[in-house]
Amino acid sequence: MTQTSILHRYRAALDKLHHYLGAFAPITKQEFTLLLPYIEIREFDKKVKVIREGEVERYLNIIAQGLARKYLPLKNKEITIQLASEGHLIHSELSFHNRIPSGAIVETIEPTVFFSISYDSLEQLYEQSPKIERLGRLLISELFIKKDSRYFDQLNKSTRERFLEYMRNHPQMVQRVPQKYIASYLNIKPETFSRLKHLVRLKK
Amino acid sequence: MLDMLRQYVSGYVALTNEEFTFLAEKVVVRRFDRKHQLVQAGEVERYMNFVVKGLVRMYFYKGTTEVITTIAKEGELVSSSASFLSGMPSCYYIETLEPSLLLSISREDLDRAYLQSPRIEKLGRLLTTHVVLQKEEWELECIRLDTRDRFLRFVENNSDLLQRVPQKYLASYLNMKPETFSRLKHLLRKKTPVTKTLHR
Repeated sequence: MTQTSILHRYRAALDKLHHYLGAFAPITKQEFTLLLPYIEIREFDKKVKVIREGEVERYLNIIAQGLARKYLPLKNKEITIQLASEGHLIHSELSFHNRIPSGAIVETIEPTVFFSISYDSLEQLYEQSPKIERLGRLLISELFIKKDSRYFDQLNKSTRERFLEYMRNHPQMVQRVPQKYIASYLNIKPETFSRLKHLVRLKK
Repeated sequence: MLDMLRQYVSGYVALTNEEFTFLAEKVVVRRFDRKHQLVQAGEVERYMNFVVKGLVRMYFYKGTTEVITTIAKEGELVSSSASFLSGMPSCYYIETLEPSLLLSISREDLDRAYLQSPRIEKLGRLLTTHVVLQKEEWELECIRLDTRDRFLRFVENNSDLLQRVPQKYLASYLNMKPETFSRLKHLLRKKTPVTKTLHR
C-alpha cells in the first residue's frame, strides 16, 4: 500500500491523534500535515514481539488501533508493567532514550496498528520546531504524572483497592485483556484476582 | 552556588550566558533547617528544587508508616514532581534531613522561561525525560532485584548516604524491614564512593 492510501485508511485514527496532541499544544491542520511524513504506520498481528529483550528500541509508538503490553521477562515468569490501548504511548523507554539494549519486551495482544516515530525523526523534529519541543515536554510530563500515580497506588493501595479501581476505571480493558496480564500488571496473584472478581459483576 | 547549577544544566543543554542568566534570575535561594517540611501531602508543589547543600527526603504515609520514595543530595533535583507538573495536590511530603540550601524555581517562572527560549524548553523536556527514566529504572530494578541485591546495589552507589541518613530511612527507601537492613550490613566489606541519583 502506498503511504497515501495508508493515510487514507487510518484517517479517523490520525484525526484522533491530531486531537490528542492538540490537547498538549495547539497544532493547526497544516502543522499536523507537516508531521505526517515522519510518522510510520506499522501493522502487527496479535502476539508479536514489537521489541525484544536486547534490541535497542528505535520507535516511540502511539496505538492507532489494538492493544499491547510491555513486560519484563524474569527467570520463570513475566511481569507486565504496562497495558496500552488506542491513543496510548508504548515503547521501551529506557532503551529508546538512552540508546541501550532493552530489558523490557513490547508485545501486541490484539492485531495492532502503531503510529511510530523513530528516534532520529523525533530528534530532527525537535531541532526544527520549538513547538514540537513544547509538545514533547508536555507529553512527557503527562507520562510522568501517570507513572507516578501508578507507582504511588502500587505502594499505597491494598490489593483489593487496586483491583476495584482498575475494574472501575478500565472496564473495556477487562473485556479485552487476558486476566493473567491484568493480574500481573496490578501485582495481584492470579488466584487472588479470580477470587476478587466476585466483588464485581462484569458486564458481558 | 549558581556554578553548580550551571554545570548540572550543561549536562543536558548548552545554554548561552544570556539564557542561563535569564533562568538564574528566576531562581530563588532557599535555606532550611533540618527536619523542615517543604511540602505536605495535599498541598500543591510550587517549586522545582536543586540541592546545593544538604539532604532532602520525600515520603508518604501508608497508614501510620512513613514510606520514603526519594532521598536527594547535593547536585540533584527534588520536587513533588507530579504535583509540580499537574498542579494537583501532592501525594508526598518533602522534608530536609540536614540543614539544606536549595535553588528553587516556581512553576510560573519556569513557564515564562520556556517561552523565552527554545533551548530552555529543551532543557525542560530533557529533565522531565530524566525523571521519567529514573522512575522506570527504579521500578524495573525493584522487580528484577531481590532484597539482598537491592541493598548491595544501593550501598555500592551511595556509600556516603550510609553515613548521613538514619538507617531506618534507608531501609524504608529500599522497601525492606530495618532488621533486614541491619542484617545485610554484614555483607559489606569495603565502601566505594560512587555517586548515583536516588529518585524512585
